[in-house]
Amino acid sequence: MMTGAILQAINGVSLAALLFLLASGFTLSFGVMRVVNMAHGAYYLLGGYVGLSTVRATGSFALAIVAGGAAIVLLGFFVDRFLLRRTGENHLAQVLLSVGVAFVIGDIALQIWGGDSLKVPVPELLRGPMELPGGLIYPAYRFVLIFFGIVVGVLLWLLYRKTQIGAVVRAGVDDREQVSATGINIDRLFVMVSALASFLAGMSGVVGGAFLTLYPGAEWEILVYALVVVIVGGLGSLEGAMIGALIVGLLDAYGRWLLPEFSYFVLFAPMALLLLVRPRGLFGKEF
Amino acid sequence: MTAPAIAVGSLTKQFGGLLAVDNVSLTVATGERRVLIGPNGAGKTTLFHCITGTLSASAGRVSLFGLDVTALAESRRTVLGMGRTFQISNVFVDLSLAENLVLALIGGERRKWIMHRPVRAYADLRRRSLEGLEHVGLRPRADESVKHLSYGERRQLELALALNSNPKVLFLDEPCAGLSPNERQRISKLIGALPRDITVVMIEHDMDVALALADRVTVLHRGKIILEGSPAEVQANPQVRDVYFGNV
Amino acid sequence: MRRADIALACAALALALALPQLAGPFWMGLVTQMLIFGLLALSVDLLLGQTGLFSLCHASFFAVAAYTVAILQVRYAVPTALAAPAGLLAGTLLALVFGIAVRTRGVYFILTTIALGYIVWGVAHRWSSFTGGDNGVTNVPFPALGALRIDSHTEYYYFVLAVMIACALGYRVLIDSPFGLGLRGIKASETRMRSLGYRTNLHLYAAFVLSGLLASLAGVLYVYYNRFVNPVSASFPISVEATLMAIVGGSGTIVGPFIGAAVILGLRNWVSSFFELYATVMGVVFIATVLWAPEGIVGLLIRLRLRIASARREAS
Repeated sequence: MMTGAILQAINGVSLAALLFLLASGFTLSFGVMRVVNMAHGAYYLLGGYVGLSTVRATGSFALAIVAGGAAIVLLGFFVDRFLLRRTGENHLAQVLLSVGVAFVIGDIALQIWGGDSLKVPVPELLRGPMELPGGLIYPAYRFVLIFFGIVVGVLLWLLYRKTQIGAVVRAGVDDREQVSATGINIDRLFVMVSALASFLAGMSGVVGGAFLTLYPGAEWEILVYALVVVIVGGLGSLEGAMIGALIVGLLDAYGRWLLPEFSYFVLFAPMALLLLVRPRGLFGKEF
Repeated sequence: MTAPAIAVGSLTKQFGGLLAVDNVSLTVATGERRVLIGPNGAGKTTLFHCITGTLSASAGRVSLFGLDVTALAESRRTVLGMGRTFQISNVFVDLSLAENLVLALIGGERRKWIMHRPVRAYADLRRRSLEGLEHVGLRPRADESVKHLSYGERRQLELALALNSNPKVLFLDEPCAGLSPNERQRISKLIGALPRDITVVMIEHDMDVALALADRVTVLHRGKIILEGSPAEVQANPQVRDVYFGNV
Repeated sequence: MRRADIALACAALALALALPQLAGPFWMGLVTQMLIFGLLALSVDLLLGQTGLFSLCHASFFAVAAYTVAILQVRYAVPTALAAPAGLLAGTLLALVFGIAVRTRGVYFILTTIALGYIVWGVAHRWSSFTGGDNGVTNVPFPALGALRIDSHTEYYYFVLAVMIACALGYRVLIDSPFGLGLRGIKASETRMRSLGYRTNLHLYAAFVLSGLLASLAGVLYVYYNRFVNPVSASFPISVEATLMAIVGGSGTIVGPFIGAAVILGLRNWVSSFFELYATVMGVVFIATVLWAPEGIVGLLIRLRLRIASARREAS
């Protein structure tokens, strides 16, 4: 029982790492640019597929991560500039628009990569099991994922909290005029943040596609997890995305293990309770 | 001894590091006309928000005719008799003027929950909404959309909404802001003509309007009350002049 | 103006009544679907068009009602007289629970309803022992109320048409009522409403439950039409499509959601017969509607009518 509990904890934390990668981009998009981009799930899927093709062509997982991220940076740029920007701060329009974009991406991906469940091949180095103290055997890849998630999390946090750029980003939302007056180009800043969010989404597809599979519909399933992370953690908060991801990851792992038929319920019931008590999530701003 | 219309005790409102309202206490008697003056950023509107319940105070108490309303929601305070206008016109833009008034009229009534009969079945609502519009001079536009109203006309509608919500205490936040001299005159005449069973508390920047209408004046500066007295006393006070003309 | 509207309504009604004679079973089935999904879209629009809340979980009420009817009739041989009301009740009870979402606003509300919607989908999908999992529940019979039996698709079509007309009339009464006006007031300015004495959260909750009731009705009608229900009925794309139907047709009106349903279903039927990427086409329709026609078809028609009227006035 104990081994099971520990195994599930690691499962949960590794899922949390993945969810953090995806949710952080989503929450930053909202916190900085007030944009709700429901195509993030589709970005994940497409990034994963691009990464998969890259590995098939070149054999390099590292290159796949970069390629997956870069592909979405490019796509995300066009979506932002020509579509999302037109909606201003109309969240309803943003949701509908980005859902439409997601439908298009999903359909085209279906045509190119087909309907079967595909997995991104894990590099030789990270394949195979790792032995943990106590004799537990666990896939090495997932451990590396946790480590990777922590590294990215720390980097983002440093960028956001400790650098001047981060301070500007944080100030940018509240007072655009004041920020432009300091000589920083707001539009270019937004483009950078958007590119970062896109890269994170695409990259998480490659990284996630190596242990979860990629298939039509996965873009919505992963998006809903990211949404719960963001609802629980609070929209716009990086810390919220971290804590939210941990909570969601662990609830999912234990839910699936203990009550497989009701695992979705185990995940969403705490979210619903949280809403009753604190509608803006753990670290969200009051609306 | 009857309870005052409004009694505010040690009210404080803090936004993060900013102390917008600092330990304010004041009392307004029933039927009194009280005007709140003070430079921009003095905390006048925030104080209003805390009294009417639009914002919850960080500390302190508010009571209405002796009843402690501090913990009550804004909608409840309205039903108990608080009416207000907003500094920036807050009217129902997508609806007609008459519909705006109907909403104000039934806000405190159980009728607002009726789902099985149309609004037009209630002749008294139509009559009273037209009367309410007549009172502020907007009757001819009754069935037009608010979208077509000018700024000044929206201010008039704003006042009409407050007047028709059955208020016992009326909080007017700069009712004349941004209006032409003619419009200003009309609004202050309207306010001046209000019956004495309604208590009026008003924020006003225009000294002439303020001093003409007021029984008593309270001066706010940086969240604190610095003076309270009759219009003549306040006008003569050098500290008030300093605060307004920037010596402080 | 009003006479033209009445004439139009009569013509539409006549056409609807004569449809089974004029067109074949395929068209009748399609129009039945349009009416059912139009009702679902109307339920979404009760919130979107009247209160400004954008709910993306209405497929949940739709599906719960459908599953309830299906499971009761197929597995427990419960007659329609009990199964149908049970379906309505189940969906509405769910709306009473999901109504907590009303404590949030704007984008939080949207996200919350999306997540809530997935609970039902997830349960339908994973609790296979009860819901049949991906296979769903099949062989749902036609409804039968004692001596009254529906034996054919044609009869069911007329039944659905009758229910639709009753709903439309009821909806009209609701939005013309003081409560309906209150909802529009909240949409226009919630802060103003609160300062006028309205407990806005309570009004929104009531609207949410009513819209859940309507969506449940659509679900009950759906399962008797389709004779089968599976987790897809609870899925996010269904909720999104219902919203799109309301917007494409004209949010805030009664006919808008039905027109929208006709357009979306008709388009999908037509496109999928020759083009594999019809999800792409749907996506493009979303994008185009949001960017260029947010007031929908009814809105466009109203604008056209005004323009014709003013042109006529200028000419005379």
